[in-house]
Order: sequence, then C-alpha cells, then structure tokens
Amino acid sequence: VKVEAIDYGDRRVYSVGAFNRGVGSWLGRLPTVWVEGEVMELRRQERWASVFFTLKDPQEGACLGVSMPRGRFDALRLDLADGDRVHAYGRPELFEARGEFRLRALSLERFGLGDHLAALERLKRKLADEGLFAAERKRPLPVLPRRIGLVTGNDAAAKRDVLTAITTRFPPARVLVAETYVQGPRAAGAIVEALGALCREPELDVLVVARGGGSFEDLLPFSDERLVRAIASCPVPVVTAVGHEQDMPLCDLAADARASTPSLAGRLVVPDLTQLLERLDRARSGLERGTRRTLERERQRVDRAHERLGRAPRLLLERGRARLEHAAGRLRALAPQATLERGYAIVRAGDEIVLAGADVSAGRRVEVELAEGGFGARVEDTR
Amino acid sequence: MTEERTFEEAQRELEEIVQRLESGEAPLDEALRLWQRGEELYRFCRERLDTAEGKIEELAGRAEAAKP
Repeated sequence: VKVEAIDYGDRRVYSVGAFNRGVGSWLGRLPTVWVEGEVMELRRQERWASVFFTLKDPQEGACLGVSMPRGRFDALRLDLADGDRVHAYGRPELFEARGEFRLRALSLERFGLGDHLAALERLKRKLADEGLFAAERKRPLPVLPRRIGLVTGNDAAAKRDVLTAITTRFPPARVLVAETYVQGPRAAGAIVEALGALCREPELDVLVVARGGGSFEDLLPFSDERLVRAIASCPVPVVTAVGHEQDMPLCDLAADARASTPSLAGRLVVPDLTQLLERLDRARSGLERGTRRTLERERQRVDRAHERLGRAPRLLLERGRARLEHAAGRLRALAPQATLERGYAIVRAGDEIVLAGADVSAGRRVEVELAEGGFGARVEDTR
Repeated sequence: MTEERTFEEAQRELEEIVQRLESGEAPLDEALRLWQRGEELYRFCRERLDTAEGKIEELAGRAEAAKP
C-alpha cells in the first residue's frame, strides 16, 4: 500500500485516511495467532456482514474488540453467552474508517472447564510421573515448630482462621506471615517468592499456605507448575489449605499435609499446649514412680541377702558338728577297744600279736589283753 | 543437653526412659542413671515450653518485593 503524504516545507503530513491505511497495512503483516478470553457484548445482526464482540482477559481485565465474518460465526453454532471462555484464531486488524484496532477472527473455539481440567490433568500426570506426589516424599510435621511460616492473601479470613487456630491451641507459637497475591496472573509467582523468602528465615520449621474458597479460575494459581514444584522442593514441611474440600488443587498433592480448611491447617502445625504439659508431667511422675519401684526392689533384695548372711554361721556350725559326730562314730567303730568290749581278747607273745596257733609252742608265756585289764598265761598245747 | 536436640526427640527419649524404668528391668545403677537423664530431659522440654513467647510477625518489606 502506498501512503501518500503532503509536504509542507520540510514537514511531511498524512491525511487521517492515509495514516490509518498505513498502520492498517503494517498490522496486517503480523501473524495469525490464538487468543484466549471471555466473550462480552456479543453483537450480531442479520444485515451485518460481521458479528462483533469483546474478548476480556478474566485475570487482568484487559479488553480486545473482535470481528468475525457472520457466515463463519453462524456455521460454528457455538451459541455463545457473555462470560464464555473462547480461543479465537485471527490476526490484528485496523477498522480504518474509525481508527479502531481489533482482532479479525477466522475461527473460534469454546474453551471450557473441560479444557482447563484436561490441561490440569496432563500436568498432574506429568508431575506424578516425576514422583512429586509420592507418599514416601511426605515429611512428618514437627511436633513443636520453633517458627511457623504462613503464606496467605491479605483477605483477612484465611489468615485470621489460621492464626486463631494456632494461638488458641498453642499460645507461645511464633508465626511469620507473608501476605501475597493469591489470585490472578501474578499470584503463582508471588506465592513462590513468598515461600522462598520465608524459607530463608532462621528457625522456620514448617510452612502453611492458606487461601479461602473461590471459583475454579480463582484457585488455578495453586495448580501452577512453578508453585507445585516450589512446594515439593521446600526445605521444610508444607501444609496447604486451599479452597474447599472438593477443589484439590495440585499444590495439595505436593504438600506434606493437606487440610480442608485454614483452621484445620493451623491445628495441624502446633501441638495442644495443655495436652503437651499433661503428657510431660505424666512422664515425670512415671520417672519418679519407676525409680522408686526399682529402689524398693533393690532394698528388699539387700535385706533378704542380709538376713541369709545372719543365718549362715549357725548353719555352718551345726553342719560341722554333725559331720564331727559322724566321723567320731566311724572312728570309734574302727578302734580295737570297741572290739575288746564285744568280748574279744588280744594275745601277745613278747612284742608280737599272736594271730595263729603255729606262732607259739606249748609252755610259752603269753600276755592276754582284755577290754579291762589283762593277765599272763602259758600255752598248754597248740592246734 | 545439646542445642540441636529437638523437643520431640527429648520427649520421645523421656517416654522411653519412663517405660524402661516402669518395666522394673533396669538394675539399680542403670535406674539411677536413667532417672537423672529423664529429669534432665523433662527440664529441657519444660524450658522449651515455658520460655517460648508467642509472637506474630509480618514478613513485610521482603514480601513487598513480590508486589508491584
């Protein structure tokens, strides 16, 4: 397109029409792309060659006018209503008569909940395959965290619920709160940054990410891949409480624990102080009871030993005496006196004891020893 | 009692000691040693709870960087 200008001296001046034509032709060289937005202000009339509507960015609120040939639009039978999410395929165009910039759509596809869910499902499978949601990755929450990090929006409700639950259960808790965006296109990045900032704080032992309920789109940042990865790789355990029970954003799957409400998340990260003190005191009484019992048992054992020690010498003495009597009896039985007392006699010839008739001869004097005393005698004859 | 010891480790050890003592299986020397250790652990846990002071801080400034 040739754009004519008029020269006034050294100044080149364009007519409005020529300027618009020039810009329009330049815009026309841009590529054809897909644009996602929500349909607003749909205008369609039988006598118009095109239908018109506005595409709105649901997160940033930015708007874009769209025109589309009526025949193509009707052929798609999309039955669009305000607020429907669509993908429009087209290129930028300038409506030269009015200098209005818009998207000239060639095709239009409804992009609904199903597509969002499908995209989420793909991401979920990918992250699951990497093992980010594996049960063995889940860390136990500390019993008594030194400091608790809380990431929340500046909407009071979720933050207040978490803090109230924490301080009611455990008044001496130390909580560090990072307020951040929890909705909109910047939310995921902002939450990741807040997590990082909290993790750099000393003594931080556990993190809570809390957000109240919201629409499916409101909660999308909590399924953002960056956020899910940040939670999975957090150096301390993370508890999430995002939306309602049925929402289940992906960050819940990567978290070490998931609570269905911000209050429950608060209850998860601190112990009940009263119960904790009771348990400690119970342990202490057990300590005393156990030690006393051991001491008592050992004392009884020593007492018993002492008693036996006292009995021992008398027993020994009696046993000794009995043994002595026994030995004496045996000794007595073996002595010759006992034999003599039974009526036997000992006959001696000189120093020799006479054991056989052949040891003496007739006329030999022998000495006879009896149990009491004795006498001398002569041998009459021998046999 | 070392600084790195966490509250839950101390509490767990204390309760194990109580169990051992209450079983009545520990000889006297060990029982006395366990009792002393248990008292130390109890004091450590109580101190952690008694000296902690509740505090809610805002990570403003640093989080501010995340906002436009």
